Amino acid sequence: MSLDHIVSVTIGGLTVGMIYALIALGYTMVYGVLKFINFAHGEVFTIGGYVAAFTLLTLGVNDGMSAIAVAGCLLAAVVASVLVPMAIGFLVERIAYRPLRGRARIIPLLSAIGVSIVMQQSIILVFGSKPVTIPTLALSSASIVVGGIRIRVLALVIIVVSAVLMAGLTYLVKSTRIGKAMRATSQDMEAAEMMGIDTNKTIAFTFIVGSALAGIGGFLVIMYYGSLKFDAGFLYGLKAFTAAVLGGIGNIPGAVVGALVLGMTETYGVSVDLGFLAWFVVAGLVLGLYVQMVRIPRRRLQHIAEDRRTPEYERSLLNVYRLTPYHGVKTLLAERTDALLSVSAEHAVRLMAGNVFLAVVAAVMFVNANVRIDTRWQPVIAFVVLMVILMFRPSGILGEAITEKV
Amino acid sequence: MRLSEVTERVSGAAARVPRSVYAVGGLVIAIIFPLLNMAGWVETAWLRVGVISLLFVMLSLGLNIVMGETGLLNLGYIAFFAFGAYTTALLSSPKFELRWPFLVVVVLSALIAMVAGFVIGLPTLRLRGDYLAIVTLAFGEIVRLTITNLQDFTNGPNGITGIYSPRLVGEGALESLGSTGPAAWLVIDKPVEYYYLVLACVAVTAVLISNLKNSRIGRAWNALREDELAAVSAGITASRAKLLSVVLSAGIAGFAGSLFAYYSNVISPESFLFMQSVIVVCMVVLGGMGSIPGVILGAIVLQALPQVIRQAAGAARSEFEVYRMLIFGIIIVVMVIFRPEGLLPDTLWRREAHEVDPREQEKTRQSLFDLEEGEKDLEV
Repeated sequence: MSLDHIVSVTIGGLTVGMIYALIALGYTMVYGVLKFINFAHGEVFTIGGYVAAFTLLTLGVNDGMSAIAVAGCLLAAVVASVLVPMAIGFLVERIAYRPLRGRARIIPLLSAIGVSIVMQQSIILVFGSKPVTIPTLALSSASIVVGGIRIRVLALVIIVVSAVLMAGLTYLVKSTRIGKAMRATSQDMEAAEMMGIDTNKTIAFTFIVGSALAGIGGFLVIMYYGSLKFDAGFLYGLKAFTAAVLGGIGNIPGAVVGALVLGMTETYGVSVDLGFLAWFVVAGLVLGLYVQMVRIPRRRLQHIAEDRRTPEYERSLLNVYRLTPYHGVKTLLAERTDALLSVSAEHAVRLMAGNVFLAVVAAVMFVNANVRIDTRWQPVIAFVVLMVILMFRPSGILGEAITEKV
Repeated sequence: MRLSEVTERVSGAAARVPRSVYAVGGLVIAIIFPLLNMAGWVETAWLRVGVISLLFVMLSLGLNIVMGETGLLNLGYIAFFAFGAYTTALLSSPKFELRWPFLVVVVLSALIAMVAGFVIGLPTLRLRGDYLAIVTLAFGEIVRLTITNLQDFTNGPNGITGIYSPRLVGEGALESLGSTGPAAWLVIDKPVEYYYLVLACVAVTAVLISNLKNSRIGRAWNALREDELAAVSAGITASRAKLLSVVLSAGIAGFAGSLFAYYSNVISPESFLFMQSVIVVCMVVLGGMGSIPGVILGAIVLQALPQVIRQAAGAARSEFEVYRMLIFGIIIVVMVIFRPEGLLPDTLWRREAHEVDPREQEKTRQSLFDLEEGEKDLEV
């Protein structure tokens, strides 16, 4: 792999990652405040893209126009792709989510799925089921050459704009009055109400900000790729959710970190040949084994009475733990007589199943020799990352903002 | 009289009719339906609608075990259906030139789906509700994308064609008994025959599930759904009970998938989209989570009714599909907000669905406590 290739792939990964981050922030903010997965968020992103495209097409933007006119058109598209998602985010929260606040977790999730279908089908009804395409502008195809490497200007624009927006969001949440209200609401809604915070207003504001970010994401995507399909939001939304979980849901910097990691993983996963990917799978397997066999037992060891917790004893227990997949689980564990046993026998079975699953995934990839990991597998990478992170470390890389039992 | 009172009375009156009346009535209607076709009053196309509706009834019954009884939302349920369908397609089609006996294939399809359910359930079931939903969704998508991408094995997006019709008795078995030539009635290839085959399977599944519902394990599921902590303290092994419900529901989906593959002759990844999972979820929500008659009604209403309306309106298929999905989405939202217990609710769920905010409960408990304190004061 040459340096050129690495740089261009990295920039591609950063660009995609930044787009995921813009969407993931909406998921993570809403989750932080309400403990609720806003499943319809991906569709808000699609609507942002469609509205931007619609504005550009209505204004008839093309390269024949003067630079100022093109800039005006783009500005109008940005404004439209922010305002419309904002209104939609507000309305959806008011109509479909607010009446369900405080119900069992899956009830609002079901409602969100319903909303997402309604939005998707509405897009088809309004704009048709064909992908929307915007005319190619000089700006969207322009590129600069740095040290022999060609980089699209738009990729840099996306990275810069997203970074600025994220800095702005951090300022908003950390240093403003409404941001303080958001943090208070996410910590304890009832206490926040007692302190005179209008939690309904705060939640509505959270939805509006999240939707605006997703809308801008839609605008950037339509500028970057030139077209968007009505169901794009499903995949983008899921990947952004993956990113949010990966970084630690409810955690704003976490969403950005998770999105960048996911973007990089995906881009490298499909642009590097199978030899490299094999490494990736093996690394995942080893990581999973490590987390399960070393990290988790250590946590379990804390249940053992203080006086018995000598280093030798702990080591011997950990050794038992490491051996469990290879020996008869129960017979071996039955010799030990503490609280660890009942938990870890079950855990060992889970551990094996988790690794069998990973091994099967790896085996399917390798046995079938014709399978090249190309762009068709890109969504699969994201989904596998999602499953692995939820199975092994649901609190994410940076940890959830609000720790709670998983 | 307010609208809610009207619905309350209607459902109250409906609840007083014995269950068996509904069951027998439904079964009689279902048995008579193909006879209308034979008499020439109903077109064969409707029989096909009937078969597909029955397959969806089976799917919703299976999903109801995890979603309604155990309270775990599964958004990738169609993946187990796909496992069943592809197992059947590979074992009984010209793809690998195999033609395994019908019964073996059906059982194997269900078993493979169960194994898939076990493998996915074991590591994920400890996750809480909403994460579990997303993990199952990811699983469903991974299965579909893998099927699409593994060209050599599954023909990719083109799908597997020419699946053989099921033969109730193995080839040569009758000849050995002295019969001449293959008996036509032993090969199921007409819509009417499929209809009765699927109907029989649905009936067996429904009876099985309603018995399970009232058994020890069924009560364990309900207890887990309502309060996991309390259920575990009462001695239920949460992981085992949950796993059993996931595996069982996967098995039913695999069974249905096998029948689907036999019936449609051709299967492709197109049939196993995320939207299909959502449709099954929608059926369960509409009918009433945890209620067997409700779920059957939900599946029939959402699968058969749109076809009737489409026929009546004479609309084009693609355009109609958009409206159908739009209405499905609206149904989910409206049902969840206004009638979360579904059309024909299960008594337990009904109580739970209208349960107030835990914080509200806390307040009520607090005030009761205050009252007791006050009484004590008076005595002193």
